[in-house]
Parts: sequence; structure tokens; C-alpha cells
Amino acid sequence: MEDKLPKEEVLHVADLARIAVTEEELETYQVQLKKMLDEVDKIKEVKNYDEEMLICPWDHEASLRSDEVGEVLSNQEVLQNAPSHTGNFIEVPVMINE
Amino acid sequence: MSKYLDLSIQEIHELLVKKEVTPKDLVVECFERIKENETLNAFITLNEDAISIAESLGEVEEDNLLFGLPIAVKDNIVTKELRTTCASKMLENFLPIYDATVVENIKKQKMIIIGKTNMDEFAMGSTSRTSYFDAPKNPWNKNCIAGGSSGGSAACVAARLIPFALGSDTGGSIRQPASYCGIVGMKPTYGRISRYGLVAFGSSLDQIGPMTRNVYENAVLLSNLTSFDEKDMTSSKKEKEDYTRFIGKEIKGMKIGVPNYWMSDIVEEEIRLEMEKTIRRLEELGATVERIDIDYIENAVTLYQIIAMGEASSNLARFDGVRYGYRTENPSDVEEMYRKTRQAGFGREVKRRIMIGSYLLSGENAVTYYNKALQIRDDIKKSFEHAFETYDLIIGPTTTTVAYSLDENLDDPMKSFMDDILVIPVNMAGLPGMNVPIAFNHNHMPIGLHIVGPSFGEAKMYQLAYAIEQDKKLNLNPKEEVA
Repeated sequence: MEDKLPKEEVLHVADLARIAVTEEELETYQVQLKKMLDEVDKIKEVKNYDEEMLICPWDHEASLRSDEVGEVLSNQEVLQNAPSHTGNFIEVPVMINE
Repeated sequence: MSKYLDLSIQEIHELLVKKEVTPKDLVVECFERIKENETLNAFITLNEDAISIAESLGEVEEDNLLFGLPIAVKDNIVTKELRTTCASKMLENFLPIYDATVVENIKKQKMIIIGKTNMDEFAMGSTSRTSYFDAPKNPWNKNCIAGGSSGGSAACVAARLIPFALGSDTGGSIRQPASYCGIVGMKPTYGRISRYGLVAFGSSLDQIGPMTRNVYENAVLLSNLTSFDEKDMTSSKKEKEDYTRFIGKEIKGMKIGVPNYWMSDIVEEEIRLEMEKTIRRLEELGATVERIDIDYIENAVTLYQIIAMGEASSNLARFDGVRYGYRTENPSDVEEMYRKTRQAGFGREVKRRIMIGSYLLSGENAVTYYNKALQIRDDIKKSFEHAFETYDLIIGPTTTTVAYSLDENLDDPMKSFMDDILVIPVNMAGLPGMNVPIAFNHNHMPIGLHIVGPSFGEAKMYQLAYAIEQDKKLNLNPKEEVA
């Protein structure tokens, strides 16, 4: 088996994850991600008892609360950790180009 | 320097009631100890308000053993107006605007939060070396890892800087560092403690739990951490329990299973020998111990990689540089902002995991990998349930080795998963698991025993753990043991 992933594949994965990658990082990831995916691939060989899936190991009733307005955060609280804001709005760079 | 923090919590409580010591004295002593042991790097942030909080606590609540006692909180559990970083550059300056439910619960008991403990970045790792703030060190040998991801919590309790810490456990992150540092660590049943305010990593695996010097204190703390919480859909409505209720009762007649895989040659020989010794003692104390097979536990790491990373990739999508956390400078558009923010804000381990997770959940892969993993996960749970029809508890070693050097295995992306191979199955099945120290190896590094119980079977686990602790009577204070 090839011991590293093709560059295009790493770039595809990084794109899915919205993570920029430098040329140097790319080479490291080619090797490291391959190792991890080889481990993950072992799942194909495992024979299961049945088709039933367990998404979350909790078998008690889901506790959904009633859909009522509860405590509300103040604008100041919401904005206090925002990297950039103007008045009551969080500022972001251009989202739509003409 | 005063030595109140070497006393048991019952002794401290008695002194508080008699007004021979105040909560402030305890906080001051705690800070002195942390200062003296700065090289352990167990804390990321100290709570500057702790002394004034101690002063304002008022009259001692006589029946509340936790009143006025200091506690450390892992830095992925949010604390209002006390910096919470997840050991990441991404949240280096993050000031939470609310308390996690578990934090509200400890504050209700009038416990005093001393600071936030070091950890692997976003709890991803088994050594705490992925911390943006450098790794914490093992109090038994400062050249060794404290384990992870709750490494700082384990180190500060082991070094007797503080009696209590909270950790979180997604795939062994409470139990494994507890084993490496020689303390007691409990990951309760999934749903037992509210996860509201725990920064999510693998939502179907994460649980908060207590890390303490001994079994009794662990049980007391856990009894006070649980509460039904409407803010966490998976929070259990079960009544609160007194987890000390079986402590001190004999274990005669208890049926214990030991999975063969957990005693195979993946575990260092010295650890297996100590396990065998402990098993013989349990038999002498009247328990029945038998070797068993639990199907699929050998697939734990593969399953973990798929499920934990899938969930992580989704959970960490929220770190986009918009509402909170780090943002890259002068991005040209919003796409560049996301990509560069996440490139610079996350460390290598976190980025690897997010990338793998995104890949595993994309397109056809979701069926090939994720669905298949969920099927095996269901099988693991059934396999454990089957075993618990016959056995009260299941035991094995917590880790395959003792804590290793801080310089070891730095380049192997798989090593951190393998460290947790014995403890991950418990998270898959949502069961409670705990570490209790049983011995030291030839270099005087702690060896731990892993106890697994059926769902909501924590009280029985404490019963067994206490019996072992009383039988072994180890000196677990590194300051007295290590010159």
C-alpha cells in the first residue's frame, strides 16, 4: 500500500474542513492522515452481529423543554467575545461579491 | 506553611465547623502550593476572585462536606467571567457568559473554584502535550507525561495542590491520566452529569467526572455533581444518589469479570502481574473473579477514530472566527476568514481530527465508515450488557503502560489513540468507568485498575474501589514518596 495520500486528496479533505494548508503542512498531512485512515479502514473487516445502530448510548426519554422564551442574553454579553463588531452587529468580511 | 490540604475532607470539615480554619485559609494554602509547584504547569488560569469568594461564604453549612473546599475545573468547562481556553489559541481570550450546569452545582455546595486546568487542546490527545500552553507534568516524575486529556486536573490532585478537580472523558480522558498520576478518577454513566457548558468534542461520548485523592472523596463529589438538566437533552431524570452508601461494605459474593483481551500482551507484563496480584486478593476477600470475553472491545480505537472524529468535525465547525474566539487578520473574504482562522487557531492534532472527521462523514463514506461504526458500537453495548447479566462489575488495567517520557512518541499520530485502547469501549457503550491506583512499577510510577459498571452502577463501583484502596494502603502522596 502507498504510505501517503495523494496531495489532491489532502486538499479535498482540508477543503471539506475549511482549513487552509501550507505546502509544508501538506506533506506532513499526506503521511499522517494516511496512517489514520488505514486504522479507520479496519472497520470494513469487522463482522457485526446485526444492522442495529447506536448513535447515542442513552436509553431514557429525551427531555425536551417546552418552547417558551426563557432567559435572554444581553447584546453586550453576546458581543463581548466577538472578534469584531459595530454597534449591535457582528462584523465579517465581504460575503457576496458582485 | 499550613498543611490543612493534606487532611481528609472530613477532618478539614471538622476544623471548619470548629472555626479553627476558614475557607480563606484553605484558598491561601492552595495558591501557595500551586505557586511552589509552578513547574507542573497544571493550571492555565487561576481565579483571582477565589479569596474574596472564600471571605464571602458566610456560616459553615454543617452537613455539607464540600463547603468552602477548593476545586479545580478542567479548562473545557465554561465558568462565567473566568477565562476558558480549551488549551487552544482559538479561545485564548474567551470569557464565558454563563456557568456550566456542573459549575452551578459545585457553587451551590459553596465550593471555591481555584482555577482552570491544563489539558490537550479541545480534549484531543492522551498526553496533554497538544495544549497551546505547554504540557503539564507528572508529579511522580516531571520528565513524564501526566496523561490526557485531563492531564492538568490529574497532576494538581496527585501533587496534593488541591483535593478535587473536574475532568471530562470522551475516550478515557479522566481515567487514563488518573492512572498515570495515581489518583481516583470516575467517568460516570452517560447522562448522569449535565454536559451543558462542556465544550463539545464527541457529544455522544463526552461525560464530566470527578478526580480526587481517594475513593470516598470521589463518591462525595459525584453525589453533588448530578442533577437533571433541561438544558441537556441527554441528561438523566434519575434521582440523585448518595454514592458513598456501599463504601466500607464487604465485597464477599461479588461477581467480577476480567476480559481476556484486557489481560493480553498488549499490556506491559509488570502491569499484568500487579493485576493478577489484585485479583488474588479480591478472591481472598470473597469475590468471584472469572475471565470473560467481551466481543468487539479490540476494535475500540477504530471505532473511536470514526465516531469521535466525525462528531468532532461537526462540533468544531462553530469555531469560524465570527461570534467568538480567534480571527485571522485582514481576510479578503469570508471563505478566507474561515480557512485561515482555523489554520492558525487550531493546533495540529485538532486539525488532523477535524479533517479525518469531515472526510468520514462526506458522501458515501458516511455509509461505509460511520454507519458501520455505529453498528459495531451497538454490538459492543450489547456485549457488555450480556456480561452484566452474570457479573456485577468488570475490571482490567486502565492503561497498557505507565506514564512515559514527555519526549517519547511525539511524531506518531496513532500513539495517542492506542494509549486509550482499554478505556474507550466504556464511552462507546455509555457505561461508568473508574480508575483506582493499585501499585507502582519498578520506577515508582503508578499503575491503575479500571472498574467498569453497568449503567448507573456507580455506587457498587465505589464499594469495590474502596475495598481495594483499603487493602492496598498505598502512599499516594508524591511529595512524601519521591525525594
